[in-house]
Amino acid sequence: MLPEPHIGSAMIGHAMLPLHGRTILVVEDETIISFLVEDMLRELGCEDVRHAANVASAMSLLREFEPDAALLDVNLGREFAYPVALQLQIKSIPFVFATGYGRSGLAPEWRDRTVIQKPFDTQALGNALRGALRAN
Amino acid sequence: MPVALQQAFQSWDSLMEWLPVGICVCNHNGLLVQFNRRAAEMWGDAPELGNALTNVATGEVLRTGEPCHNYEINLSRADGSRMVVCTNIEPVRDADDHIIGAVTCLQDVTEQKLAEEALRNRERWYRELLEALPAAIYTTDKDGKITFYNQAAAMLAGQHPQLGQDQWCVTWRLYKPDGSPLPHDECPMAIALKENRPVRGAEAIVERPDGTRIPMTPYPTPLRDDAGRLVGAVNMLVDTSERKKAESQQKALIDELNHRVKNTLATVQALAAQTIRGANIPESMRNEFEARLLALSRTHDHLTRTQWASAGLDVILAETLLPYADGRGERIRLDGERVELPPKAALVLAMIFHELATNAAKYGALSTKDGCVDVLWAQPSDDRLTIHWREKGGPTVSEPKQTGFGLRLLTRGISDELGGEAQLEFASSGVRCRIEVPLSPADAA
Repeated sequence: MLPEPHIGSAMIGHAMLPLHGRTILVVEDETIISFLVEDMLRELGCEDVRHAANVASAMSLLREFEPDAALLDVNLGREFAYPVALQLQIKSIPFVFATGYGRSGLAPEWRDRTVIQKPFDTQALGNALRGALRAN
Repeated sequence: MPVALQQAFQSWDSLMEWLPVGICVCNHNGLLVQFNRRAAEMWGDAPELGNALTNVATGEVLRTGEPCHNYEINLSRADGSRMVVCTNIEPVRDADDHIIGAVTCLQDVTEQKLAEEALRNRERWYRELLEALPAAIYTTDKDGKITFYNQAAAMLAGQHPQLGQDQWCVTWRLYKPDGSPLPHDECPMAIALKENRPVRGAEAIVERPDGTRIPMTPYPTPLRDDAGRLVGAVNMLVDTSERKKAESQQKALIDELNHRVKNTLATVQALAAQTIRGANIPESMRNEFEARLLALSRTHDHLTRTQWASAGLDVILAETLLPYADGRGERIRLDGERVELPPKAALVLAMIFHELATNAAKYGALSTKDGCVDVLWAQPSDDRLTIHWREKGGPTVSEPKQTGFGLRLLTRGISDELGGEAQLEFASSGVRCRIEVPLSPADAA
């Protein structure tokens, strides 16, 4: 089993990205990591990046804010992000899971979704979000 | 008949003396009229004729005229020993059909009785033994009908099966490990009986009538008689819920540990990014740091997939070099047999390959369009791995002026941490690196 190749930064310029001006919801319980992810998303050209640290605040954000895509940290300390995933699925909003343990760390019903392994770089995040947006 | 023999049996009376069974005759009052030698041996002495026969059965036969068949009596013999005797008593009638006496036939069945009792005791002992075992055990006949089950089997099944009626298994319902129904006539016990072979390594889920489910491993074994014919089977059902629980707890713990390790690495990445931001530090430096951190993290991922047993050398090399591949297999060539690296070797080698690849992309063969990297490896013996890294077609290479992180890692990591050797050569045609490491299981830690 060979890993999927990464696409080197030289191959894709930011101008080609369909992430410019996008609105993104980030659900991540660790503050310092959320800073990094927000910076990465801005670097990718995303315009409006909103952050929620738990399921409840993500759900209330989603009542008034419809992002183009979302990044969900699966393990939010005391809870899992699956209720948010379900809500996003109902609203047909594409999303990407982030976990420390890859696909096997996902509940079986979500295993066909895009997953990126933490830690990740800007390219991997961009590729995953673009993939999810295209698939939608 | 020869004369001598005729003389030996002058009458039927003399023939009586030769019989291996005791015979005695009494009159209508139950008084002894005649008995043979064997009867005297059984009683232990020869009673006087005219003595009363004391057993109740004789009295009954004389009173009712009904014969008495296979009546067992416990005989007290003259020497005080006891004998179990099978008795048959027939009434004797005269021409007017009046009862005039009775003939009693006595057979010593003591040995037979003792053997029967020993057998019963042994059966009871085995049954009590099986009953006492905490493992769920049941037996069937050759058609799979339940012939015995112990208390533990009834507890596991959550029901008491019908002996001689229920077939194949004591349980109510069975499921395969994937949760799909497993019909009783396809269960491992049924297979053991139908195919006349023990079944091992199977797993199933028991459903009790109350709906609870228990994972278990059955151990069905056919039973054969002395001639090797199938006569039935015995099965032991081992409740594996504790083991399953422990396994899932272990998985949860490993998942949690990975989650924390990966989040910590992500936090380090974030801290570095926050620190570098604003400071007058080139972005390339941040990228270099991040790439190293991610290379380390990806090796963790590969090791995690095998519960930290090993990671494939080809997987690690592909991970590192495929981003530079041209899709035609010319720029990057990886060639070698399948080698599983122990965790320590995997972590060190992955970081070294990362440094070599980064160096090649900056200054070596991967910095130009036409350069290529060949990595060949072989394991000439079980405990020795050699890896050749060869760059070709790149710019002319020269010895670096400073010893960087990559070079230091290559020399010290291979020798000190893995007990191997590394040779790095900055040939003008391209960088060449030869790594030789021991791979004995002792290094696996």
